[in-house]
Amino acid sequence: MTKEKEKTFEEKLKELENIVNELESGEIDLDSSIEKYTKAMKLVKECDEKLKNVEEQVSKIVTENGTLENFEVE
Amino acid sequence: MNDKYLSVGAITRYLKSKFDNDDNLKKVYLKGEISNIKFHSTGHIYFSIKDETSKINAIMFSSNTKKLLFKPVDGSKVLVTGRISVYEATGNYQIYVEDMIEDGIGNLYIAFEKLKLKLSKEGLFDKKYKKPIPKIPNKIGVVTAKTGAAIKDIISTIKRRFPICEVILFPSLVQGDGAKDDIVKNIKLAQNYDLDVLIVGRGGGSIEDLWPFNEESVARAIFDSKIPIISAVGHEIDFTIADYVADMRAPTPTGAAEMAVPNISDLINYINNLKIRLNESMKKKINYLNLYLDSIKASYTIKNPLIMYENKKQKLDILLDNLNKSLIKKYNNYKHRYEIIKNSYVLNNPKLMYKDTVNKFVNLVQKLELVNPLNVLKRGYSLTYQDNKLLSNVTNIKINSNLLIKMYDGEIEATVNNITKNK
Repeated sequence: MTKEKEKTFEEKLKELENIVNELESGEIDLDSSIEKYTKAMKLVKECDEKLKNVEEQVSKIVTENGTLENFEVE
Repeated sequence: MNDKYLSVGAITRYLKSKFDNDDNLKKVYLKGEISNIKFHSTGHIYFSIKDETSKINAIMFSSNTKKLLFKPVDGSKVLVTGRISVYEATGNYQIYVEDMIEDGIGNLYIAFEKLKLKLSKEGLFDKKYKKPIPKIPNKIGVVTAKTGAAIKDIISTIKRRFPICEVILFPSLVQGDGAKDDIVKNIKLAQNYDLDVLIVGRGGGSIEDLWPFNEESVARAIFDSKIPIISAVGHEIDFTIADYVADMRAPTPTGAAEMAVPNISDLINYINNLKIRLNESMKKKINYLNLYLDSIKASYTIKNPLIMYENKKQKLDILLDNLNKSLIKKYNNYKHRYEIIKNSYVLNNPKLMYKDTVNKFVNLVQKLELVNPLNVLKRGYSLTYQDNKLLSNVTNIKINSNLLIKMYDGEIEATVNNITKNK
């Protein structure tokens, strides 16, 4: 469970928002604009994929001994 | 005769003043059961409070009914606070109720207020401790009962709004003995599951049912949680200590689920919108740069490059001009100085420079002439040599020796005939 944490969805979204605001301010030169734009489009794609392609999660319940089991609401 | 008879109004006003001036009647705490309750359209409530032996009329004005934490009905056992006075129109005395709570929960109510004050003083409700609820969680924990409306509402709401989020239930007792310890245990357990947010709550119920969420240990467990907690206890009107400590209070379990997750389609729209803004701002930038480039291309100078050259040429001419001028000026300057020197008196009369020297020379020559022996000869003297030696006396001269005699204008060779030495 201790895999290297990649950026969370929320962090990616925040970064995306920042880039959009930055680009809209029009205060960066063309070269860095293109660089940032490319990065932003990558973020858009990643966020989109996360939202559209991830399967519906099954609810879990913590059992007496601390393990997780699937949980269906009665 | 009629003077001793009072009007009804007068006696009523008298009685009313008696009531109103009695300090004991200004704040009365009464305990009893509600009967004959009527809710008037104005918002006022008219009712009676009775016990086994007596009954008193009561009125609660709408300004006070807003504070009610329950809906009073006939038979409700209540604790009321108010003042007692006389209503002149009917001559009835009644209690004007300012505050009313359900009896039986009275002790709980006091305990609630006491704990609330204590924790508030400790700062457990302070805004500065409120953790932000993440907007887009991956994993949500729920501490509530395994069965019942609460977990059903929470799961169905999350599935509807944000199905990609994982929900982990920490099944817990939520009422009765042992509930508070179980809630505390589960909040602590939940800390180990890498959760983004934790919902703690239960569905509606009586104040006794909700009581575990008013327990100090539960409040402290919520406060100590590293995970942001949304409380969701009972209905909209139910406020518990847990609600005050939690990072956010939801009116209901469904409300908690709505606060915990975004609506996935809103989010997709939002990201689409960001994408559009991204493209627009890029387009704008490129358009702007294009326009700028065009404006440069269209500028007069770029279109007429000779202008640049002409400007330079003109400048060069001016510089050359200046150079010439300054050279001529320098030349004239030197020429002028030369003229001045050339015309100077000394140069034009050079003798002046050596006149003194000539005089000196003449003097010297004259002096030399004075000592020239040849000049002496001119005056008639002569020089006499014997064997090339100049003679100055007769001592060494021998008879018949040859002498050479140098005179002013020639020489004589002579032979000595006789010698006479002066005595």
